Amino acid sequence: MPAMHRIVVDAMGGDLAPDEIVQGAAEASLQLGNVELILVGDAAVLGRQLPQLRHDGSRVRVHHAPTFVEMDEKPAEALAAKPDASIVIAADLVARGEGDALVSAGNTGASVLACARRWTLLEGVSKSALAAVFPTELRRGEKDDPFSLILDVGATVDVSAEDLVGFAVMGSAYAKLVSNNRRPRVALLSNGTEPNKGPANVIAAHAALVETTELNFIGNIEGLDIPRGVADVVVTSGFVGNVVLKMLEGVSETVVRLARYAHKERLAWRLGLVALSSAIDQLKSITDWQQYGGAPLLGFTHPFIKAHGRSNARAVTNAIKVAHKALAGNLCGNIARTMAELDDRAQRGNRARTESSGAMAPTEG
Amino acid sequence: MARRSLLDRFAKLSTLPVKLGERIGLFDHVPEGLAPGEKPPRHTFRWDLDKTYLRTEFDSLADLAKNAMQDAADKQAYPGASALLRALSKEDGHRICIVSGSPTQMRQVLAAKLTLDGIDYDEFVLKNNLKNILRGRFRSLRAQIPYKLPAMLQSRCGAAAECETLFGDDAEADAIIYCLYADLLAGRVSLSDLERVLIASRAYDDDASRILALARRVPKSDAVKRMFIHLDRRSPPNGFLRFGARLVPVFNYFQAALVLYQDKVLSARQVIFVALEMIDSKQYELGSLATSVQDIIRRGRVTRETALALSEEAGEAAKSGALSGRDDLPPFEQIANAFRTRVRELGDTTPPPWNDQEQLDYVRLVDEEHEHRRSRRKQGMG
Repeated sequence: MPAMHRIVVDAMGGDLAPDEIVQGAAEASLQLGNVELILVGDAAVLGRQLPQLRHDGSRVRVHHAPTFVEMDEKPAEALAAKPDASIVIAADLVARGEGDALVSAGNTGASVLACARRWTLLEGVSKSALAAVFPTELRRGEKDDPFSLILDVGATVDVSAEDLVGFAVMGSAYAKLVSNNRRPRVALLSNGTEPNKGPANVIAAHAALVETTELNFIGNIEGLDIPRGVADVVVTSGFVGNVVLKMLEGVSETVVRLARYAHKERLAWRLGLVALSSAIDQLKSITDWQQYGGAPLLGFTHPFIKAHGRSNARAVTNAIKVAHKALAGNLCGNIARTMAELDDRAQRGNRARTESSGAMAPTEG
Repeated sequence: MARRSLLDRFAKLSTLPVKLGERIGLFDHVPEGLAPGEKPPRHTFRWDLDKTYLRTEFDSLADLAKNAMQDAADKQAYPGASALLRALSKEDGHRICIVSGSPTQMRQVLAAKLTLDGIDYDEFVLKNNLKNILRGRFRSLRAQIPYKLPAMLQSRCGAAAECETLFGDDAEADAIIYCLYADLLAGRVSLSDLERVLIASRAYDDDASRILALARRVPKSDAVKRMFIHLDRRSPPNGFLRFGARLVPVFNYFQAALVLYQDKVLSARQVIFVALEMIDSKQYELGSLATSVQDIIRRGRVTRETALALSEEAGEAAKSGALSGRDDLPPFEQIANAFRTRVRELGDTTPPPWNDQEQLDYVRLVDEEHEHRRSRRKQGMG
């Protein structure tokens, strides 16, 4: 029997919690072979809901948490006021070794903060990164994945060149595993494709990434290359990543609103939309974020999959599957190994430079 | 000695035509009741086989063919089921009766499987489908109530126990049949109601008359204390709430063993052996057993006090050697602690209270079951 993976699920987090979260977890218990699911939340509520669903009762357990963080609460304040909130207890369970991974559709800031306060970073990783997936024109990997990964989107605002290299390693390892993409194309987001474009940390990160053989680094890309899908993994600081993500979401919402307006306003436009409806449906199915499940918080010794706040049961099941895949594929171990290899290479480089400068230095006496 | 052996041989020879007759669909196997002077059983355990004891797939023709071709050694019991059945059969005054919907032609293989698993049984009834085909009774091939109910009534007419415990699954109409049987024995279902149920079940007239005759003469008492439904299809447990507290849906046989421990039918030591068989199957580990405890407490089928008492008693049993030679397991105190932790994880929550059980409308239940089966067939799910 392969080792049982224990996935902790914040059952109270998300717009549709706990109903859709519990339903998604129940379905995952039937679909995944060697997983134990720990639902954290109000035991009375969860205990009433579970027996109404098809599930495997020997692999879904409940851990009581009397409160939870609302979606619109301020993260730091909420965690201070509610030390027994479901996300806090869930992160604690993983930190104590009673769980192997965490899935939450709840308040993003509170989830990231709860993990950051309790979990330890992988050796060699200086900062964690929250990733997000974005639908692109080009597809990738064995599964023809229509999503690219962009990180960081808000976990770390100020980053150094070393942090960006770490993000590149983490994003590449994740894309390799989840999209079955053997050599994910990794790029740095900048204001030009030339290596010397951008702020100092981006230029230094470019110089370091060019040296790596572990990653398929394709250089710098510009904002317009993100939706095109030029890169499979887009690396940037949390500040820029968050701005980019919000802007892309805003553009997408505006397009939908314009289409609705057109549908209402003129018959000819409505007919045009009807004619395009099958193509629009296809586009919707390609860019259906629910199939992707969630995006990871990378850099810690345990995987955390942050599902979309509006996640329904299907999205939650898929987020749990992603967490399972991350555990089965030893995502954190792979990141740590690559970070160690990069560190080793850097140390060898430093030694070689010291030796050569020592050999060239004039002898005293 | 020689004379007895001769008698034995003669007895075996005398049953040969019946066995052959059953195999070619001529006769029905009628279970032997109690021998003259034999004490009636204290507790009868009635088991279904497929999907209850044996892991069987019969959702497609290919599955049916595979089942028919399997050897006894290839057949797999659910983890813990053999240990539980063995524990139940070993006690004095216990009677094990197996009623299966498998065809009579499989008697040899199924009997061999039970022997391989070390199960002693008192009765073993199979469905004579060849006879049904030869008589053109195609409705009987799928019928559950007109087959199982008389088989159970007949068995009780031969050997009536004070208590009965029934084991079935969620694949067929076991919950309905078992409750109907229990309510018939307790006098909660009248013969006229039974007649209406048999009409709804599309029983042939002569079968219905035979069932009514058996219902008239079966020894009556509120004997059925417990029914277990093995959730092979992982049906939602709450779907069985309407059958009342006496019927317990279980995800595995550790949960059944816990309930039987609470009912004072099994000892803590016997529960340990069920758990060990499940761990040895490699399909369960200590964590999933502890989670199973939490699940059944959450559903209000076992109390926290029972789980904690079991943990204490099992500790004593472990000290007296129930876990000897099991170097693969952590020390018992660690195991017990894991179980106690799962109970604590529930906080102060209490399970939902049981509502007073309403009288079941069996005609409606049978109609719903037929509708459910039709929709499953349409979806290609057997």
